Amino acid sequence: MFATAAVALLAVMAMALLRALAGPSLYDRILAINGLGTSTVLLIAVLGFVAGRPDFLDIALLYALINFIGTLAVLKFFRHGDLGHEGDEETL
Amino acid sequence: MRRSPIVKEMSDLLIPAIVLFGLYVQFHGDFGPGGGFQAGVIVAAGVILYALVYGLPRTQRLLPPNAVRILTSLGLLLYAGVGFATIILGSEYLNYDALHADKIRAQHIGIILIEFGVGTTVAAVMISFFYAFAGRGRS
Repeated sequence: MFATAAVALLAVMAMALLRALAGPSLYDRILAINGLGTSTVLLIAVLGFVAGRPDFLDIALLYALINFIGTLAVLKFFRHGDLGHEGDEETL
Repeated sequence: MRRSPIVKEMSDLLIPAIVLFGLYVQFHGDFGPGGGFQAGVIVAAGVILYALVYGLPRTQRLLPPNAVRILTSLGLLLYAGVGFATIILGSEYLNYDALHADKIRAQHIGIILIEFGVGTTVAAVMISFFYAFAGRGRS
């Protein structure tokens, strides 16, 4: 059952990756990569149970915490062109 | 100054969790997946998230680049120091058995100290990478 879930998750990830490669706008790509990250968390957890090593849940939890930083960094870079910017939005 | 409230609230919620998880990986590394290198990267990721949300100047007031540089060498010093301490106690370099009369306790003390040194250095180096890249400004 876990193996089936893993295959389904791989299919989902392949589709998200295709959208990230083809996506016409930046936001399509960001959203696709974010979805890819979320499915990676699930895939790590499921693979942990397939391999009989529940330790993998630690890694899945960590990935869930870290996943969001990369998205935020890319968005900030495209908004301000500078990762160290103070983050005020007065220009809007 | 106005920030996106969603980003700010999410980060305020996540940063303590990330740093706490880093400490868990650091000190639980001898029983589960993890260890000094991974823990260092996780703690540095927490600091980088703070810098992304609150800006580089505020982060550098909190954690000055000089302090990061000193932490880099302190971690290495701890690693090498444990090695030389075992030599002084009359054994080979990094032979933990010399650290305590009980062999298992000695291995435990040795690996915890070594991994703490690795974690400190890795976190400091990752943060200084980020400072170097983010400090270039808009170009």
